[in-house]
Amino acid sequence: MDRTILQVSDLLALVNQTLEYAYPSVIVEGEVASFQLSRGKFIFFDLKDDTGAVGCFMMAFSLRQPLEDGMRVQIVAQPRLTTRGKFSLTVREVSPVGVGSIKRAFELLKAKLDKEGLFDPSRKRILPRIPKRVGLIASIESAGYADFIKILNHRWGGVAVDVANVQVQGVGAAQQMQNALDFFNQQAEPPEVLVLARGGGSADDLSVFNDEQLVRAIAGSRVPTLVGVGHEVDISLADLAADVRAATPSNAAQILVPDRHAFLAELAQRERRLSERMEGRVSEITRLVNTVASRMASRLDYVLNDRIKLVTQAELLLKQFDPKVVLQRGYSLVRDQKGNLVKDAAKITPGEMLTITTARAIIRAGVIDAKQN
Amino acid sequence: MPSKTEPSLQQQLAELDAVLAWFDRPDIDLDEALQKFDQGVKLAESAKAKLQRLENKISVLKQRFDQQV
Repeated sequence: MDRTILQVSDLLALVNQTLEYAYPSVIVEGEVASFQLSRGKFIFFDLKDDTGAVGCFMMAFSLRQPLEDGMRVQIVAQPRLTTRGKFSLTVREVSPVGVGSIKRAFELLKAKLDKEGLFDPSRKRILPRIPKRVGLIASIESAGYADFIKILNHRWGGVAVDVANVQVQGVGAAQQMQNALDFFNQQAEPPEVLVLARGGGSADDLSVFNDEQLVRAIAGSRVPTLVGVGHEVDISLADLAADVRAATPSNAAQILVPDRHAFLAELAQRERRLSERMEGRVSEITRLVNTVASRMASRLDYVLNDRIKLVTQAELLLKQFDPKVVLQRGYSLVRDQKGNLVKDAAKITPGEMLTITTARAIIRAGVIDAKQN
Repeated sequence: MPSKTEPSLQQQLAELDAVLAWFDRPDIDLDEALQKFDQGVKLAESAKAKLQRLENKISVLKQRFDQQV
């Protein structure tokens, strides 16, 4: 037997060293009892089952979901002796286990964050219609990731997607997603939208999306957020804090970008409208030209008719002065031997021969006497 | 990813809408209308071609997130 004499603190240090070597980290499941928050910084509680109990200590900032007595939890911790030689678990992470506990933690945190206004509809921002750059937070091995990318590629092109490959379930997942959110938010030129996607899973799997710090990071993101987690029926606090909630990762892709087929239809509709308007304009101008032409034609008609009427009238007038017409009425023309019309008695002498023309006869006659009429 | 000088699809759609709006004005000149019509058709065709050509660029970041950034 070793006779080395140890000081008390040396013993404690030795045991702790041994414990750390043997159990650097243990995962323990149990029920919370005697939960106590000290000075807002330190948390003490007992973890127990039917026959045993162990004291637990943790820093308040490490607590990511609400705890209360009676809740069933899983903790990640390191066993050690305190300076007073008391056995204790130093807890790094705690997460509720089982439907009842998860639901209880969810309700507690939901009420708290709701009161703070984190889920207010007035906080929600609108996503850009067609983002050029997107930050995707997902596990590249997950079905949710594959679904999202498939639908995205099917619907649209030209989007640059930066993928932050993170764990989306289990210990450390919430912290990784929160780190990815911070990473994108701290970029000099951050993406236009941050998408958090994860496919369906059990309540335990999805419980990381009810992590208080992750939910706060989503609500506090300066880049608008779109969260598509689980199936249609699963609602997480991450969903509620996001600017836009998608039912599933596929649905997130549908919300994120328009369908190129719909866009093509929109384009075709505009092309059709353009043609209609052009045709409309052409037929309008054609109608205008036709109206002017027919007005000109009718004006020309009017002028021509006018002229024709005038000519006809002149013709009638002229006819009335035709000497033949006058002779028909019984008048005669009297000419001297030179062929001049006899109008004056002074110009003729008795015995002179004259020619008398009637409508149907030419008569030669001698002058017996002539005096002024 | 489209270059900075190349107009985005949304810009092209907006330009197309502007052309359509131009046709709503009264007293438009036929020559100008033909030009606008040509411009509109070209816009629509180029947007369609682009839409079929574009592909998404997916890049997985090398950054690890298991430690605080």
